[in-house]
Formats: sequence, structure tokens, C-alpha cells
Amino acid sequence: MSDGSGGGRPEEIELRIGAELTNLPIIRSLAASIAMRADYDLDSIADLKLAVDEACSTLITRASDGANLVCTFTVAKDEIRFQVSIKSASDTAPSSDSFGWRVLTTLTDSADSWVERNGQDGSRQEHLVHISLAKRRAEGPA
Amino acid sequence: MTNTQSSQTGNRSDTGYEHLTPLFAEMANLAEDDPRRGRLRNDLVTGHLPLAEHIAARFSNRGVPREDLVQVATLGLINAVDRFQPDRGTDFLSFAVPTVMGEVRRHFRDASWSMHVPRRLKELNLAINAASAELSQRLGRAPTPSELARHLDLSPEQVFEGLEAGNAYHSMSLDEALSPNADSDSLGETLGEPDSALAGVEDYESLRPLIERLPDRERQILTLRFFRHMTQTQIAERIGISQMHVSRLLARTLETLRQGMLADDPD
Repeated sequence: MSDGSGGGRPEEIELRIGAELTNLPIIRSLAASIAMRADYDLDSIADLKLAVDEACSTLITRASDGANLVCTFTVAKDEIRFQVSIKSASDTAPSSDSFGWRVLTTLTDSADSWVERNGQDGSRQEHLVHISLAKRRAEGPA
Repeated sequence: MTNTQSSQTGNRSDTGYEHLTPLFAEMANLAEDDPRRGRLRNDLVTGHLPLAEHIAARFSNRGVPREDLVQVATLGLINAVDRFQPDRGTDFLSFAVPTVMGEVRRHFRDASWSMHVPRRLKELNLAINAASAELSQRLGRAPTPSELARHLDLSPEQVFEGLEAGNAYHSMSLDEALSPNADSDSLGETLGEPDSALAGVEDYESLRPLIERLPDRERQILTLRFFRHMTQTQIAERIGISQMHVSRLLARTLETLRQGMLADDPD
């Protein structure tokens, strides 16, 4: 197994892609590929895929026109962290009482969401909405 | 499905189909254009239907709807009736069983893949699926790609390839997607559950009708994963399909719910 990060230094993989639902399969397969190559078990791979799907769909619905999703995977020894952000006209973070949030928290070990209220560029208000989640490697082989 | 013992092809004296045997000879003796051939052929196919149903049942719970399998097996049976030559000295069942099984296997290999995937990858994916079920049993959790590679004596790269090929697998026919019923025994007990568990969720009102509209099996999988916190592997075992199939069904269900919520949203 090459885990790509010699001395346990976390590896970062970044993807910038149009905030369109049709782009979800690309992000999803990148997530699966990363978890697979980190030798996560099949359940964890599937969970991470679904969680990434959910997080990105949530942000796509609040994207400003033409905005890009900026996705970062940080692969540490026993944890994959996924952070995604979008430019949005809305300055409210996804609600942690929603069903979608329950999906995210069930599928991951931690999930968080916040808004960076950006300065106004011209008359237009643009904010950055972030979601961050982490999936830890399941308890090692018995 | 009147007589399940009828598949005991080894025991030729008691197959439940003996009364049909003379019809083959009778049909073979008729001229090609004799109108009685059609009736005999019909009787032979109908008479052997339990055989097709039995073979279909042996392949059920593998992600292809039972009705599709019965249909495919019946087609195989019709082929077998048409091609069987009673003067060759073998009995019909030893000819028909492999023919029908072959038809069903081919269906798994070909019809269930939504895009063209080389046969090598399909077989690799099936092998990984089987190994994953076996290892899950042994380990009490889902295996990792490296464990699969070791078990199958493959390189990790080959396992990655096989797992990725699974993404092209289209295990749901349109029929299944539209049909509200699934044939799981344990279904009843979980059906009412999302209601109470969901009450705390703020979008409960718009979500509830969407969940109610889900096919039973999808609703069950959703409940087990998000309200009972079972893993996909545990769910797979519980309802008798593969983990990869659970994964696909869950992905599809969540997408359906998201789209439904969006459509519901006034802004």
C-alpha cells in the first residue's frame, strides 16, 4: 500500500468544480478513490461517498450563480477530512436540525458547518459557506 | 411453485414431471407445421414452470428482482423445450436445468450492467462481491480492499478496478424502482419507525410524505442506517442483498429525498 504520505504527513487533494448537481459523480468518485486507496473498509468508503454527496448537494442549493465548489480532502494516517465551501448570497449555515444534517452526522465521525461573512464586493453580498467533515478509519483488524 | 422437491433432478423416478415426458416424444413425431405442436409445447412449458421458478428462487436476493429472474428463467425453459431432442437418450431435466441456469447467469452478467463493462471486470466485481460477503461474515465487519486482495490473491490495483466497475452496475430495473413492494420478512417491524425518530427533525413535515412514498425496502434501509445506526454490511445481511447494492439503494434514496425537498421548497 502506498499511502502517498511518507512520514505520516497529511496529504492534501484539492478539487475546484462548478456547483452543479451533474458534477456530483466526479466528486463522489474522487472521495471513493481516496478512501479505497487509504484502505478503508467497504462500509466506511460507502459512508464517505454518501456524506460527500450530501455535503456538496447542500452547498449547491445555496450557490451563487456560476460559483465553484472548492473541495479539499486531507488524508492523514487514520482520518480523511473533507472540507467544501461555496460562495453564496445566503449567510445562514445549513441547519443542524435538518434531516440532511442527521445524514451527515450518522455517516461521519464529525461534521461542522459555518459561514464566513465576506466583505461586500460592490453592491453584491457574497459569503462563504463551509462544511467540514471527517471520517476515521474503523477499528483495526481484530 | 407447487412442488419444490421437483428440482431433485438426481432422483429421476420422482421428479414430479414424469407425466410430461411422453409429450416430448409425441411432439417430436409431429410434422413441423402440425397445429398440435403449439398445444404440446404450451403444455410442456406450463408443466415445467415450477422448475423455472425454483431456479429463479435460488438466484434471488442478489440484487435482481425476483420477477425478472422468473421471466428470464422461463425464457430459458422455453428455449430448452424447443431445443430438447428426446431421441438423444438424456432426460429433459438434465438438459433443461443447465440451460435455464445458464440463461439466469447470463442475465446477471449482462442485463444488469448499465454501461458496457468488459466481462473480465464484471467477473472481477462479482468475485469481490462474493469475497466481501464471506469476509464480512468472518470478520464481523466490512473488509478493506487489501483484505479482499489477499483473499482473492489479486493485486490491490485489481481490487480497486473491480470495486470501481461496481459503480456501473445497474441492479435496479425500472420495474423494481416503481414497485412499492419488496419481499423481505422483517419489513413490517421497522415501517412505523421513522415517524417517531424523525419528529425531532425540523423539515419533518415535508420529509414525511416523501419517505412514505418510498418503496418499502428503500424505506427500511433508510431507517436501519439513519435511525438504527446499522452499518451497510449489517443491513445487507439483514435483508439478503449485497453491501454494494445497499450502498446504491441508499444513494438513490437520499437523492430522491433531496430532490423531493427541493421541489417542495418555495424558494
